Formats: sequence, structure tokens, C-alpha cells
Amino acid sequence: MSKKPSNANQSERRRFLKTSAMAAGGAFYGGLVGTSTAAQEHARKMLDMQHGNQLPAPLGDPAAGRPVGVQAEYDGYSRFKPTRGDDPDSDFYLGKLMPGFRSADAGNAPFYAPDLDKLPWKMVGGVKEFHLVPMAVEREVLPGYKLNVYGYNDSMPGPTIEVTQGDRIRIIVTNELPEETSVHWHGFELPVQYDGASELTQNLIKPGKSFVYEFDVHENGTFFYHSHIPMQEAFGSVGFMIVHPKKVYAPPVDRDLGLIFQNFYVEPSQSIADSWRMDWNWQTINGRSGPYTTPLVVKHGERVRIRIMNFSPMQHHPVHIHGHTFWITGHEGARIPKSAWVPRNTELIGIAQATDFEFIANNPGDWMFHCHMVHHMMNHMTRQVGPRVRPDQTVEAYLADLDRSPGVNLKNSDPGFKTPGYPQEMKGMVMQPEFMKAIWNRREVQGMRATWPMSVMGLMTVLRVLPDDLYRIVMESDDRVEKGAVFAEIVRRFGSPADYEAAMKMHGMS
Amino acid sequence: MAPPRIPATPNEIAFSEAFASQGPVANYGLEELLALAAKNNPTLRQAEAHISAELGKALQAGLYPNPVLSYEAEQIGVDGPNGTSTPGEFQGGVIEQRFVTGGKLRLSREKYLRRARVSENLAMAQQFRVCNDVRIHFYKTLAAGEILSIRREMAKTAEDSAVTAQESYNMGQSNRPQVRRANVALQRARLDVLAVENAYNEAFRTLSTLVGIPLCVGTVEGVLETRCPVISFEEAYGRLLAESPELAAARAKLSVDQVTVARENVQWVPDLVVRGGAGYNFEAEQTTAVAGVVLEVPLYDRNQGTVRQAQADYARQRQEIERVELELRNRLAMIYQQYLTGMQHAREYEQVILPELKAAYRELLESYKERRVDWPDVLMAQHDYFDARLTQVDNLLHARTQEVLVYGYLLHDGLMAAPGISPQGHIESVPKPR
Ligand SMILES: [Cu+2]
Repeated sequence: MSKKPSNANQSERRRFLKTSAMAAGGAFYGGLVGTSTAAQEHARKMLDMQHGNQLPAPLGDPAAGRPVGVQAEYDGYSRFKPTRGDDPDSDFYLGKLMPGFRSADAGNAPFYAPDLDKLPWKMVGGVKEFHLVPMAVEREVLPGYKLNVYGYNDSMPGPTIEVTQGDRIRIIVTNELPEETSVHWHGFELPVQYDGASELTQNLIKPGKSFVYEFDVHENGTFFYHSHIPMQEAFGSVGFMIVHPKKVYAPPVDRDLGLIFQNFYVEPSQSIADSWRMDWNWQTINGRSGPYTTPLVVKHGERVRIRIMNFSPMQHHPVHIHGHTFWITGHEGARIPKSAWVPRNTELIGIAQATDFEFIANNPGDWMFHCHMVHHMMNHMTRQVGPRVRPDQTVEAYLADLDRSPGVNLKNSDPGFKTPGYPQEMKGMVMQPEFMKAIWNRREVQGMRATWPMSVMGLMTVLRVLPDDLYRIVMESDDRVEKGAVFAEIVRRFGSPADYEAAMKMHGMS
Repeated sequence: MAPPRIPATPNEIAFSEAFASQGPVANYGLEELLALAAKNNPTLRQAEAHISAELGKALQAGLYPNPVLSYEAEQIGVDGPNGTSTPGEFQGGVIEQRFVTGGKLRLSREKYLRRARVSENLAMAQQFRVCNDVRIHFYKTLAAGEILSIRREMAKTAEDSAVTAQESYNMGQSNRPQVRRANVALQRARLDVLAVENAYNEAFRTLSTLVGIPLCVGTVEGVLETRCPVISFEEAYGRLLAESPELAAARAKLSVDQVTVARENVQWVPDLVVRGGAGYNFEAEQTTAVAGVVLEVPLYDRNQGTVRQAQADYARQRQEIERVELELRNRLAMIYQQYLTGMQHAREYEQVILPELKAAYRELLESYKERRVDWPDVLMAQHDYFDARLTQVDNLLHARTQEVLVYGYLLHDGLMAAPGISPQGHIESVPKPR
């Protein structure tokens, strides 16, 4: 939210909002006379706060307790509150080797990549057999925004191939693209004729034809498959290939999550990505853009692994997680020996690189999780000029009569324009009711602040760390959860309720 | 550093006439203007005068010659019976009457009546000249009004661009030269508005002169779009052959020339001039009478030359009809291509170009609303759409003007003096019209 032109306006707005919230049912615009233009502008957009500044009613059961038999603290590091531990050389410093709730005997934690399916397989003569279909795909990256891209089996990125170290796998690739393709198994040390490097190692798969790849998997880690035709890569042809270790990594994790970062260039009023461009205006995580990316929801105290793979054609991404310090435990090449693990808040992930993050989710809340390049924290950036930044002007006035221009005042009366560089704020997208419905119509976002979709754009998602009872309400019940209720409950339990400020309700959204 | 300022409107320096800006303005429709022109355009009365003149000649040419009364005294001084000189053998009054033969008067009258018919056709042509010109200038004025309102919209676009340049400057996204260029573009757009205001005033004043009375500057009300069905060249030419007043005049003139030949053919038939009177013969000292008959003997002059001239005139007029036909076809060729081009442009702009540009503008506006495009892109689309609307007004005016000409027998120039029937040289020069 803009702090300009002055803090006076800011406090005036707050006073106004408080007043209007108290006068429930009264005219919101009453008492506006005398307020500054900026305050009026905000008042127009923001109708009220859901509960004034009162906390919503308590939710869940704070007394439900934590899993029994679980050690909460190792060497001064607590799984339930932000801590670093007593000794950087300790195995438990920053939760380095702190086990999660899951025992190694339970096997590898199930891998989960939000918004992506897994590719099914059948055991045929002792070989795991997969059917992979390169094809043109329409992907809804935001509610109402469908992109034409290439992918596999009706998905972009393609479905995840999940195998275990030691498996022999057969992948029958049937090309449903109108052009030739091949599939490269990125990172595998396989017999060369199955490497998928087009022409060098195999003839391209013609449209409608199949090619069978078969090899033993002796490695483990985070891998991926992709077309080996550059423009098809740029057009989205990629998918995860996760190889679980035969012997569960110690310490075992409770969550094994995967995210593929990509970006595209898409012209306005266009749905076909332009793979020839050098600049990129559309960012996706697992084929969706913020705020349509699905938050990663974990339980308080769990050990979490997040595998991030950057398949952007031209851009590296410094990926940053708020509220936690994580260990870099692996790259796409192999798992890193523990002695070489590095603790970080931000990790630069280059093109065609993957990085595994591990950490204990010891800090409850809704945490930003994003690429830190400012131009990647949004889609289709536009310049902040025109009716959008002019007092008393709307695009609707132009749309109402295309044959006439509503005209413009020759001097922008916004006092902010006396400040060079104003406005710097990149105002978010216009979110229509259907858009907002799709955004909110997911369990993963229940109870988040009403305004969260305004801040999660482009290459951004949210890491939600929830106490067990709240996790159950959000993820395992069908209960309707009031906007902001889960957030407020976390403030009540872990924060400073006295300083609580509710999110403002957006005009036209409920 | 603040950006260069947006310049002020140039009204004061430009002595703007401020079209239709103060007070109520008169509003004229086409029918009203045509009626005014019919009453007031002087060339129409000239044309009527030409008809009257020919009718006058017809009357005159058919008048019978007056008798001639004379007093005669002959042989003055002849000796009388008394040996004295007498006042004369004859002193008395004589009346002489020419009897016109060969139907000369009837033919002459017929000839001038036919000439009057030519003048009627020419007057008809003059009416088309005036009406077509009023129509054309009515549409010109109408178009000028529409162009003015579009130019004013375009000036708003330029203002928006200038403001956008200021905003961009404040965002560090444009530099001083770019702001200056936007300011210059704005002033040019404003000058365009002034120029179109002046053009409107000119169009209205021209219209006023065609109507024949001064009109106070106002607006015209009508529809610029053509209303008549598109006709083919051959159809249009067929219409001209059948109905063109110019061609009708040429054909009527042929019939004049025909009767001229007939008239000249009887010119040699001698009139009979009979004279008679009574007087006193001072020599014989008695009352006597005189009588005489005069008859020209067409021995050498049987009017052959003039007959030949009349025949030549007649032959020439046959060619004249053909010439007029060809000349009409020639004029139609150019006007028709302009008409067709105008119609094609107008239709294509109407059906494809304007809707497409409008849709592009709308889509960009919607994209801007979705925060997907920059405002200058929207302004460019707005400018392109408005600019195409401007072109469409030109297309429509062009089509409409040529349509008036195609349907109005290619006649225009309503302030050219109304032509009379062309002179016929030598034959005309005789004192009595014949
Ligand atoms: Cu990035």
C-alpha cells in the first residue's frame, strides 16, 4: 500500500475506515467532505474491514496438543518456535538433522507437486511402464487466463514421473504434436541411445509415431524430462521426474514438495505464448501464476523438503522463503553430503537447475515464497500512466463511448505528482468476482487474509505453516472458514493480538 | 526537474472565428436550402429570361409586315392643258402591302418556338446545376461539421498524449525532448481544429452564395451516407442518353436547325408586294388611280448560300449531338471512377476497417483495464480509429458528391451564368428575326 503522498492521508484513511466500520449499514461515503482526494480514492476501493480491528472468533482447539512421543527440542533448536540452536557445529543447528514426525520405516514421504498429476504406470515384465504423450495443451494459468503451450498428457508442465532408485523403467512416448519431438531424461546416466538428444542419439519422433525409452535407474534425486527441441522447451515441454532413494534419506521428511518455475511471453488479448521473445511477462509455478498458485500447506513442526526446478528459458530465479532458514540439501545432480549443506534464506536457481530445500516448519503463519526479481513478482507489467493514475478518470468512461474521448485534465491534480517518480506502486491486476471465486475456492487458502491475492503475483506462492488443529480444519474438513480467521488465530496464539489489524475487504469481493 | 509545460490553446493568436460557439444557431436542412435556391439563385431567373427572349423572337418573327402608306407626287412640272406647269401628273396617296409567301412567317415563328424549347432544356440544365451544387456544398458543409467534431476528438487524444508524456516523465519513462514532441503534436492537433473550423466557415459561406441569399452561419442537418443504389457505368450512361438536359437541348437544337433549313428554303420565294392608291392628275385634271405589283425575280439569288449554310448548321448540329454524347461519356468516365472508388472505400470502411479499428481500440482499452498494456498503446489505437473516421468522412463526401453528379446528369457550377441557345452567326444578323 502506498505511503505517499503523506502519512496524514494514511491515518485519515484509517480513521475513516474505522468510523465507517462502526457505522455498520450506514452510508460509507458519509463524512467524506473535507477528506483529501487520496483518502477518498482509497475509500472508494476499500469498503470496510471485516471485523473492524477486532479478532475474529477463535477457531480450532489450541489445547488439542502436539503429537506424542515427539521430541520438541534438539540442542537448543525447537521445532515449534523460531530458533537457531546452540552450536553451529551441532547436527541440529537450524534443524539441520532434526527428524520430522515421520519414521524412516514408513518409507519415503509421498511426493506432491501442487496442481500437477502423476503419470500412472503398470508393471510389465518387471519393468515400470509409462505412457507419455507430448501434445499441445491449454493451461489455465490464472482464472480466465488460458495459455496455449506444449506439454504432456494434457498438462503443462507434464505429469510427474515418480520412480524408485533401482527401477527399470520403460517410457513409451507417442508424439501427438504436429511436429517432431524427442524426450531427454535430464540428468540420468542412461545408455546413450535413450538420451533423447535429437539426431545425435536418435531420430526424431514423427507426429503420430512412438518411441520407446527403456533403462535402469540407478541414481536418486530431483530430475526432469523435457523435449530436446529448444522452442518446444521454451513453449513448456517439461515435467518432473522424481527418483526416491532406495534407502530413505536421513532424517526423513514429512513433506516432499515440488515446484517447477517457468515463464512465457504472452501478448495482451492473446493466449499463445511467444517462445521467440527475449523478455517474459508471464510467470508460472507448476503451470499457474500467483495468486492462483496453490499454497504449500504444512503442519507446525514438520520437516519439509521443497524441490524447485527452474525451467524458464532465459531467466534465473533467486528464490526466497520468508520466516524460515532452510538447508540446501541437493541439486539436480545428486544429494549433497551433509557436510556440504548450506543454510540460506534465498537460493539462486539457474536455468535447468533444481535445488532441494529442507527445513523444520517451526514458525506458524502464511509465508511469502517467491522469486526475488521484482519483475518476476508480477505478470505483464505495465507503465503507471493514463486514466488509472488520474483522479476522477476511469477506463469505463472511455469504453462507454468509443467514438468520443472523455478528455483529460491538462494537469494531474494528484498532489503525489509533485514527487518525482510517483507512483512507484505497481498496482495489481483487476480481479473480477469470478476470478476471486476461483482463487478462494480451494481448501489450501481457507482462512487467509482477505487481501492476500493482492500480494501474491507472478512467480510467487505461499508457505502455510499451521498448527495441527488448524491444518485439519483447512485441509481435512469441509468447514467454511472465514477469511482471515486462520491468520488471526495464529496471531492470537503466536503473535501480538493487541496489534492485530484486519485485512480490508476489497470492493466487490466478499 | 519539472517537465516542459503543456502549451496553452492557441485561440488568441489565431483570431479564431469560434465556429458556432455563441448563442443559438440556425439549423438548415437540404430541402429548405433547395427551396431557397430555387427562389433566389439569379442564374435560374437568367435561364427563364432566355426562354422569354426566344418566345419574344418567335412572336416577332411571326408578325405580318405592316402596310406602307405613302404620298406620291410624280411628274411635277409637266405642262397642263393651259400650257402652265402643273403640280404633276399624279399627286395622291398610295398604300403598299407585302404579301408574304411560302409560309415564311409560320416557319420563322416555328423556328423561334423551337429555340424556346432549347432554352427550356437549358433552363432545366441550369436548375440541375444549381440544385446539384447546393447539394454538393450542403454535403461539404455537413462533412466539414463532422470533420470538425472528429478533429476536436483528436485534439483531446493529443491532449491526453501530452498529459501522458508528463506522467511518463514523472515516472522517469520519458525525457524532455519526448515531452516537447508531445507538446508540439498537441499544438498541431489544435491548429488542425482551427483549420477545420475555418474550412467549415468557408463551406457554409459557399453554400450561402449558391442559395443566393446570405444565411447566418449555422449548422446543417442531414445524412452523409449515400442513399441511392449503386448503378453500373452503362446504366448511368444510359440514363444520361435518355434524360440529360444538355443532350435534350442539343437534340432540340437540331430540330431548330431543321426548321431553319426549311425556312431558308422558302426564303427565295418572292413575296408579292402590291400597291395601289388614288390621286389627282393635274395634267389631265381628273382623279386617277395607281396600282402596281412588285415581284422579285429570283434569277441569281435563290438564297442558295444561306440554305447551304443552314444545311451545314444542321449537319454540324447532328455532329454536335454526337459530340455531346461523347463528351458526357467522357465526363462520366472520370466521375464514375471517383464515384465507384468513393463507394468502395466508404463501404469497406463501414463494414471492415472502422469496425476493426474500433475493436482494436476496445480490446486495447480492455487490456489496459486488465493492466496488460501501456496507455500510449491505447492512445495510438484511439488516434488510428479517429483518423480512419476522418478518412471515412472524406470517403462518404467523395461518394456522395459523385453520386449527386451521376444522378444529376453531371451538372454543377450553380453560379456560372445560365447559357442561352448558342448564336447562329449570319442568319441571326438580319434585322427581323427569321
Ligand atoms: Cu525470477
